[in-house]
Amino acid sequence: MAMYIRVKRNKTTYFIQCDPTEKILDIKQKLQVLIDKPVNDQQLISLSNGEVLEDSKTLAEQKVENDAKVALTLRKDDNEFEDINIVKPDDFYQTRDGIGEP
Amino acid sequence: MRKEDTVKLISAEGFEFVIDKEAAMVSQTIRNMLTSPGSFAETQHGEVRFPEISTTILEKICQYFYWSLQYAKGKETEFHIEPELTLELMMAANYLHT
Repeated sequence: MAMYIRVKRNKTTYFIQCDPTEKILDIKQKLQVLIDKPVNDQQLISLSNGEVLEDSKTLAEQKVENDAKVALTLRKDDNEFEDINIVKPDDFYQTRDGIGEP
Repeated sequence: MRKEDTVKLISAEGFEFVIDKEAAMVSQTIRNMLTSPGSFAETQHGEVRFPEISTTILEKICQYFYWSLQYAKGKETEFHIEPELTLELMMAANYLHT
């Protein structure tokens, strides 16, 4: 394994093993297996610079490095992509409602 | 890549981390859960809950699993640990036999 990236959406993080020469489309195909959403309904956004990652480009070309955080957004019913929604643990504590109590 | 080759680790606050089983098995505790027949109902659904491990620590642990795999294959990079996480991370590592 050359590297991994952390793909985040809502309260879930997917650790995806990959190689710098892989294209974004390859990453989306791996995600498809995990989330049952076709690649066309996925959008990946680099969290280091906010750029939408292009299917035909490689990770290296778009400066996505080992341990990088990438946001996943999905296509909504109206055909637009949803906004980035990543819950941070600290935000969640404040709105916590008895979920996950030991 | 197959879904069966991944496992979902769930933190105290209900955050989920989907990682490769290969990575999760860096932890002897998780390895035992995933490989001992029938004794852990949770692992049959590919999920393991850690009600005592906070989200920040669990993410750090997952990063460590992957770092460990890379290190085993000869890639020597530093693993950064924020000082304020040290104690909690050590307790979790002890529990996970990592």
